[in-house]
Amino acid sequence: MAPLQRRALYGLIIGFVWTVAIIAVFILKGGASTFSKDQGFRLIIDGLWIGGLIAYLVLFETILRRPGQVDERDKLIMDRSARVQWLAVIIQLVAWVISLSESYWDQGQIPVVFLYLIFMSTLIVSTVAQSVGILIGYRRMEGRQWLR
Amino acid sequence: MAKITNRIRRLRFDHNEMTQEELANRASCTRQTIIALEQGKYVPSITLAFQIGRAFGVKLEEVFQYEEE
Repeated sequence: MAPLQRRALYGLIIGFVWTVAIIAVFILKGGASTFSKDQGFRLIIDGLWIGGLIAYLVLFETILRRPGQVDERDKLIMDRSARVQWLAVIIQLVAWVISLSESYWDQGQIPVVFLYLIFMSTLIVSTVAQSVGILIGYRRMEGRQWLR
Repeated sequence: MAKITNRIRRLRFDHNEMTQEELANRASCTRQTIIALEQGKYVPSITLAFQIGRAFGVKLEEVFQYEEE
């Protein structure tokens, strides 16, 4: 297994635990209504998602900076993983737009707290999707010849 | 559809059974890339192709071949 592939696998595991932790804390603490009122709750969620992002940055930046760990093929796979990232972000934005529009259509306004939640979930989905994209890239390379 | 083939495995054998790791170090790439090249799953950049040729001390055409399917 290539070093970048191994990191992507760790990234996926971290991302899964990270996402489950944020969703669990969010639900257990009372959801969106409590989130908009309770500053302590917001700080816990902030700590969780910023902590996860830092973990991701450390995971990928350390390998990209270490000589001999990543070559042109790994970089090609990493570049192509952006397609998966882009698709995942679009799908989750569509899900947010449809679910919020349908939920708040009658009120004519959406609580501002959802802007924050959309931003947070976009970052989480984007980082986790990068790991997924890298793993898909390595998998696809098994099947056919890849040209630069 | 064109296909790029290579003789890397053969050349390694001819060069005192050079290991994939050794070739990877000489060509400045990872061992996994050498494996992918030998299996025909990856076509390298011109730069890496030249580095592999240089690692064996042969011309590019002796390592990589262009085939029309």
